[in-house]
Amino acid sequence: MSFVIETENLSRVYKTYSKKEGIVNSIKGFWNREYTEKQALKNVNLKIESGKIIGLIGSNGAGKTTLLKILAGLIYPSTGSARVLGFEPWKRDYEFLRQMSLLLGQKNQLWWDISARDSYSMLAKIYDLDSIAAKKRVNELADMLGCTSVLDTQLRRLSLGERMKMEIIGALLHSPKVLFLDEPTIGLDILAQAAIRAFLQRYVKEFKPVVILTSHYMDDIAQLADQLLLISKGELVYNGTVDEFTGTSDLSRKIIYRYKNDIEEKSLVFQESELSFRLDEILKNGDVAELKIEEVDFEEVIHRFLAKESRF
Amino acid sequence: MKKSFIAFWRKNLAFSELAIVTNLEYRFNFFIDAFIQPIITVMIELLLWIAIFKSTESLEIGGFSREHYLAYGIWAPFIGRITISWMYESMMVEEVASGAINVVLTRPISFYEYYLSQLLGYKLVTTSLSLLVPLGLSLFFDLPIQFDRIPLALLLVVYYLFLVHTLSFIISTFAFFLTRVRSLTLVKNLSLFLLAGEIVPIDLMPPLLAKILLILPFSAGVYVPVAYITGRVEASMISDSFLSVSISILVFCFIGHYLWNKGLRAYTGTGA
Repeated sequence: MSFVIETENLSRVYKTYSKKEGIVNSIKGFWNREYTEKQALKNVNLKIESGKIIGLIGSNGAGKTTLLKILAGLIYPSTGSARVLGFEPWKRDYEFLRQMSLLLGQKNQLWWDISARDSYSMLAKIYDLDSIAAKKRVNELADMLGCTSVLDTQLRRLSLGERMKMEIIGALLHSPKVLFLDEPTIGLDILAQAAIRAFLQRYVKEFKPVVILTSHYMDDIAQLADQLLLISKGELVYNGTVDEFTGTSDLSRKIIYRYKNDIEEKSLVFQESELSFRLDEILKNGDVAELKIEEVDFEEVIHRFLAKESRF
Repeated sequence: MKKSFIAFWRKNLAFSELAIVTNLEYRFNFFIDAFIQPIITVMIELLLWIAIFKSTESLEIGGFSREHYLAYGIWAPFIGRITISWMYESMMVEEVASGAINVVLTRPISFYEYYLSQLLGYKLVTTSLSLLVPLGLSLFFDLPIQFDRIPLALLLVVYYLFLVHTLSFIISTFAFFLTRVRSLTLVKNLSLFLLAGEIVPIDLMPPLLAKILLILPFSAGVYVPVAYITGRVEASMISDSFLSVSISILVFCFIGHYLWNKGLRAYTGTGA
């Protein structure tokens, strides 16, 4: 089987200047600097097939953006190897760059001072696309995202949600085979998030690219990802499906309850085998007005996983 | 081959167009850069030369009349504005330092080409408008200008822009390692200002220094084209300048290429 993305023992170490507090240390640091090394990525091995949406999850500083940057060719690894569509990404071969797209949710990829339509015309020239076909594709994608009315507005004058839709069209204009999405729904309201999710689902179904997606909104991952990669302290700690991950969790049930005199609900997550014991405990402590038992959802499991990881 | 040649031009003309469209959006900045800056420098130069000639008994300095110096003083700042790229250089440096360069690095674009095309596009518009000022002043005051020499002089100026851009490219690669390189940009621009002969014609400098400055490529930025237009030097000086600029572009491109590759290895994808 041929894989679109393959990595072997991929590692990256960052060297940073460690500056101690105060003006005296600033003066000392002028001629004598201390550097520290941080292992951002450690021996990551991956094999990803085409037509999949991969959810990449980890706490802040876990190494997920470093992995994206290496796979998109922005930075070099310290050791190890990676091939994306058969290319070493950091060599930035034009043939490779023509087949992939990187969308950073917190950054502009389009030109700030011109309209989105002007930006797309520029992108069509950069990617050497037929201008009529490119215009047609812009209209199709804008239709799918419901944003045709703002195509002629200067980018800097658009709302965050509208801008993100414009960025997505820009990222997909040249029909990339690999799409790296870093926080594509960050800062958007629920409706805009849902619209983008629905669009991505539809797009991947139709065009079968590989999508690697990072997001702090677990709904994005739960609803979109076929495969889940969990990164902790630079290491890949889980590689499987969302359902399998939720299933492997030792915490599978949640009781949501409210005592008679309380206004707010409380919740307790526990193992399925502890059900009777936990119920007894809750009932002993007061008069229960409301109580329901639910399966723990993906978001809960991930939050607990990230909280546990960030403690160590 | 033919297809890639067309694609190359299509792409680079689009970058030039982008620079023109973007800069015309900001009319005030455009107006200051194209007119006000060179006009202020012209006023300083004219005051300087009028004061010098007033304080001397002689009607000529270095074999040239007051009108020759006034012509130099009017043309040098405008040519000097064409051959400076502080605006695009600071954008390039900022892109590297802030991580905005990620957009360029993940697309089939060369950072060097992308900014060179923009610089040329922008200069085309500013130059074609701002040069009307020295042309008008020269005609109005009947200054000793050889108008038939202007096209060749401008050709040298445009060619020199490739060197200027290559230097800006080198400065921007320093941002990979040092992040803030504004001081370096300032030192480089002041050096070019002096080496190009924008304030004082190089032929007035001490002979040894003048000889060195004429061998260096930087005199092609102001002195050689302006001196050619004002009749201070002949066409052979223009061809020498083309040669010296060509050699320098090759040398600086080599250095730039080396630093760029080193810089990319050190780059951490800031801000992503």
